[in-house]
Amino acid sequence: MSLLIQTIVNGILVGGLFVTISLGFSLAFGVLDVVDFAVGEWVMLGAFAGVACVSWLGVDPIPMLPVVFVVFATLGWLVAPLIYRVRTSRYARPALMALAFTFGVATFARGTMLTSFGFDPRTVDIGVVHGTITIGSLHIPALRLAGFVFAAVATALFMGFLYKTRTGLAVRAVAQDKQNAGLMGINVKRISSLVYALYAGLTAMAGVLIGGIYSITAQDGPRYTLLAFFVVVLAGLGSVGGVLVAGLLLGVLQAVVTVYVSADYTLAIVFAVLFVILIVSPQGILRRGAA
Amino acid sequence: MTWLRALVPQTKWQATFLLVLFVFLFSLPAWGGDYWVRIFTGVTMWAALALSWNVIGGYAGYISFGQVAFFGIGAYTTGLLMQQGRDWNFFATLPIGAILAGVVAVIIGWPVLKLRGAYFAIATWALAEALMQVATAAGFTGGSSGMSLPTNSSTSFFYYVMLVAAVLTFILCYLLLERGRFGYRVKAVRDHEAAAESVGIDTTRVKIQAFVLSAVIPAVFGGIFAYWITFINPQSVLSGEITDQMVVMALVGGLGRIWGPALGAAVLYLINRQFLAVFGDTTSYIAVIGALVALIVLFLPDGLISLGSRARNMRLAQQLITRAIPRAAPPGSVDQPKTKERA
Repeated sequence: MSLLIQTIVNGILVGGLFVTISLGFSLAFGVLDVVDFAVGEWVMLGAFAGVACVSWLGVDPIPMLPVVFVVFATLGWLVAPLIYRVRTSRYARPALMALAFTFGVATFARGTMLTSFGFDPRTVDIGVVHGTITIGSLHIPALRLAGFVFAAVATALFMGFLYKTRTGLAVRAVAQDKQNAGLMGINVKRISSLVYALYAGLTAMAGVLIGGIYSITAQDGPRYTLLAFFVVVLAGLGSVGGVLVAGLLLGVLQAVVTVYVSADYTLAIVFAVLFVILIVSPQGILRRGAA
Repeated sequence: MTWLRALVPQTKWQATFLLVLFVFLFSLPAWGGDYWVRIFTGVTMWAALALSWNVIGGYAGYISFGQVAFFGIGAYTTGLLMQQGRDWNFFATLPIGAILAGVVAVIIGWPVLKLRGAYFAIATWALAEALMQVATAAGFTGGSSGMSLPTNSSTSFFYYVMLVAAVLTFILCYLLLERGRFGYRVKAVRDHEAAAESVGIDTTRVKIQAFVLSAVIPAVFGGIFAYWITFINPQSVLSGEITDQMVVMALVGGLGRIWGPALGAAVLYLINRQFLAVFGDTTSYIAVIGALVALIVLFLPDGLISLGSRARNMRLAQQLITRAIPRAAPPGSVDQPKTKERA
């Protein structure tokens, strides 16, 4: 029984990070109308940025998180106009071409990192947070707790931005209806770039923590892309509220399968569930309307 | 025999091109040497695989990231049937793999093809990844350590098998998609599904037919590939990178064109082999194809084949502009998944 509770707690703690990743991903879909295949690569690049902090600069990655955010937000700011350009282009199928574009960006990132760093797994050495916290029979690794706290703060800030500021209002307007948002004087292109930049920075920061909890290799990007897909499909593409529940569910599902079945089958079972959900309810089982 | 007449080239230019191509390809083993024969075995295989992806991705307009599943089904069928004790004839295993892949495509396609755009891409991707996990974990496939097949060391045998299979694939796809009513139906579904339905096309059925066609071809080539490399494991016949290559080759060559995938396959496979020869690994090749896809999408959405002739380019640009006029609105108004999910 205590093993079950332990497993569920571990799952929820990691699930927080999945929420952070998927939230930006979901919003980027809503605003840009593009399913971003590069989401897992942002996680992977973030983790490698964490590795670089430790081994090249010799500083702990946790205080460097804001720097990671700025660097990746800048990268995202640079990529976003290209996606926007393809999405609004005069091609026959702009949505599919934009999908192919992000796929190309993801493949480029993976190939470059594989060439530079090879296939060796790496772990981000986070020295500031270590050890375990024991509550009764529960053993909580401090790093996972830190990851969850980070995710909670990041999510709260993000939601605050989305629902309490005028720019957030503009973002939600664009996600609902681009044409009318444009008519209301919102610069759709700039909002799209802003959202993509925020999402890239946020995802990379989560990547640093994921790289501390699990080891990561340069080819792990697609794995996290699929996990992010799982969350947003469960939540319904474009639904922000559902992501909170779905991300935590994924964390628990992954932890339970790893402990009670086998780590070899984690992805297979996650995919099987994803597949069934897509067929039974393509709009997501938690959907309660878009943001 | 109208279909035979349909195969006759329409212009002198086409006839010359086809003649030169055929003479080159069929005489290659006589003067090419083992290295080039092996390279071109790969080129013909990838050309056919990219063409099969083009059927669902380029002609039907449904991006699938799971076609490798069918390649793997074909490879494992041939592998299992040729094991000692069963000792099937190689050629007899190919139709079995193709039928199996076709059946799986119907079972999977029926629910999945109701999903639109991104959902379809994700569902097929999930299918392929799940299949790879199963093949890695299961016992009868030999797990991650894979299985060996009987060896056949004749290079030109595999070259001719691949070449004949690829030529037959091309003829089949050309007749069905460029010369037959089926092609019109498929393109109608791609260009406007609701309109296609309103003129009496059974869209679900057409989509399943296209999906089955694009599943049967990789199964056959998976079987030939397994016998060619004589050793298969999940990494070599079910890896997502195989789908990536199919997508990239079709995209670089030209989506929805019969010759596009062949051109893309030839160019990219030769680049791939050069990278292998020069750098000793293919990780940098992954970066190159990624960059190439991004650049092609940005600057040459109709692929390399659209570079063909300036006149054709002009016509294409004209077409695109006339088509784009009602679509010049911002992205929210154009086939946005949110509003058309259930259409």
